[in-house]
Amino acid sequence: MALLEVSGLVKEFDGKPVLNGVDLSLEEGQVKVIMGPSGCGKSTLLRCINRLVEPTSGRILFRGEDVTRPDTDVRALRQRIGFVFQHFALYRHLSALDNIKLGLRKLRRMSDAEATDRACHELRRMDMEEHRDKYPAQLSGGQKQRVAIARALAMDPAVLFFDEPTSALDPRMAREVVALINQLFMDNVTMLCVTHDVFLARYISDRILFLDHGQVRAEGDVEQLLDAHDDPQIRAFFGPGTRAR
Amino acid sequence: MSFAQIVALLATGAGYTVLVTLACIATGLLTGLGIALLGRLRLRGLGWLLRAYTYVFRGVPVLALLFLVFFGLPGIGFNVPPLLAMMLSLGLVTGAYLAEVFRGAFEAVDPNEIMAAEAMGMRRRQILLAIEMPQMLRFSVPGMLNEFTTVLKYSPFAYTVGLPDIMKQAMALSATTLRGLEIYLAVGLLYFAIYKSLQFLVRGIERYFYVPGFTRL
Amino acid sequence: MSDWIGFFQDVVDYGPQILQGLGNTLLLWVVMTITGLLGSILVFYLTLSQHRLVCRLTDAYISFFIGTPLIVLLFLMYYGLPQWGLRLSPFTVAVIGFTFNVAAYNARYLRAAYNGLDQEELEAGRAQGFSSRQVFLLITLPQSLRLAVPGLTNQAILNLKDSSVAFLIQYTEFFAQVQELATRNFQYFKAYLMAGLVYLALVSVIVIVARQLERRLVRPIGG
Repeated sequence: MALLEVSGLVKEFDGKPVLNGVDLSLEEGQVKVIMGPSGCGKSTLLRCINRLVEPTSGRILFRGEDVTRPDTDVRALRQRIGFVFQHFALYRHLSALDNIKLGLRKLRRMSDAEATDRACHELRRMDMEEHRDKYPAQLSGGQKQRVAIARALAMDPAVLFFDEPTSALDPRMAREVVALINQLFMDNVTMLCVTHDVFLARYISDRILFLDHGQVRAEGDVEQLLDAHDDPQIRAFFGPGTRAR
Repeated sequence: MSFAQIVALLATGAGYTVLVTLACIATGLLTGLGIALLGRLRLRGLGWLLRAYTYVFRGVPVLALLFLVFFGLPGIGFNVPPLLAMMLSLGLVTGAYLAEVFRGAFEAVDPNEIMAAEAMGMRRRQILLAIEMPQMLRFSVPGMLNEFTTVLKYSPFAYTVGLPDIMKQAMALSATTLRGLEIYLAVGLLYFAIYKSLQFLVRGIERYFYVPGFTRL
Repeated sequence: MSDWIGFFQDVVDYGPQILQGLGNTLLLWVVMTITGLLGSILVFYLTLSQHRLVCRLTDAYISFFIGTPLIVLLFLMYYGLPQWGLRLSPFTVAVIGFTFNVAAYNARYLRAAYNGLDQEELEAGRAQGFSSRQVFLLITLPQSLRLAVPGLTNQAILNLKDSSVAFLIQYTEFFAQVQELATRNFQYFKAYLMAGLVYLALVSVIVIVARQLERRLVRPIGG
């Protein structure tokens, strides 16, 4: 059984379709990348799956359970999906450690000591333990992202969503994200990543989904999609220069 | 009578001035926070009521409101003691102004952080208390200090309803000694000293809760 | 209901005095709003001074008048100055006291607006060879004033409400006349309620006018 099974997902904003019948499946332990031009509905897709945005129609099965029904426990669903935002969205008034502890304390109802232990463990995993008492304003972009990932992982999510993980980083930092995501893949973390960064897509994933105008235009291996696709529009998007990047 | 003696005599009223000021600040904080929080939750049908409250209480002079409460309400059967009358006039007016300060500060909270908390599975109320409130209060410090200062400056109205604050002491003293010049100069210095203490206190609290990366609004 | 009819009868009977009071309120408001603005421009100019002492003194002035109740200043002049044989009319005392007070607040708004200005533009003015006074009058002041419009109009509203304080030094403005009416017919609640509504209506007028003003003055720069 797939971890996530999306079929015929439609989202309209003011009558305009942003997602127009998207199908997608994600297996446990898999890393899948969704690519496409800006405005193609990539981010909306992620937000529909954890119901930050209400889908107009379609079905989403999460471990076999339909989570689009009105009686779905949305908050329980969200607690099983770790979300790493484009600009990381760390809570500015909390230190790195407290950013991670907040969910453990308020949602998992852990004791302070327990939460601290767990948070430190996740920070260590992300090589960030020495920065535990720093506030977001004192961290670099790459460091913020590591804290954001640690914050998501601390909740033991079934899957980790990344929304454009490299777009807010400088190029050198963006390269490090590849190593980071591959490390998580080795740890058997299931991930769904939205990006328009071809370099990132090439090195973290075996399966890529190309989204355009709210529809999946193509899905396939890295080689199939990035190097020689039949669809001229997909070739144009990835372009001849992308391999050099 | 020396200037120092005048100051010492007036200072006996300082306790009441501070009491009135703190009572009205507390009233203002309570109503201001309540209004701002309810407004933030966007409860249906409540929006216009909150707007009406802030509009009315920011549009009427404190003195007119104080007299309405203290001299007017007994006429329709409600006797209001002086301190309560100050809280129901100056305090509620302050609440209306503070509500605006808080509303503005809430807008400064990054919506992405709220969305991150939602994506984590937190309840609306948890987000409000754990994310938005702590940030909003830090953004509000300069505005709060302004409003607290205003409360102190209007606190002398307490003498009109018979509270023995600094102003009342000054009037009694100047009636007996006819040395209004020194007396009211001393009064001014006393209020300025209280103002500076208030400022010092608020700055201290602000420093205690300081977090890098928060700019004053 | 018959109560209210009787009350309005009293209001009509006492109408001329109330209208006269209203006139005095508006007179004080207009005068102090103008003098307060002019005073604040002077104070603002002094805060930009190169002399440390001048800056210190103007900062102290602003801080003192923001930290001290206006009513103390009014009482100081009204009840204190006669000690030196100087008897000023309530109106004069009110205008002087309010001017000092309002000037301090407005100067703070102007100063905050100045801090938000594009410093390069000011440097450009200096580089073009304008004298520092010309730079102030032609560039700094107009731009600061425009940016400070929301604060200044807010102060104008406060001025109207605060003008009621002048009744405590026997200036026969609107609130004093309402008070007089109330002590005649003992309808305190109705009288003060009416007073509150009148102030609310006047404030609403200022708010509407101020919005028009802001639309015209602020947008061209802000947008």
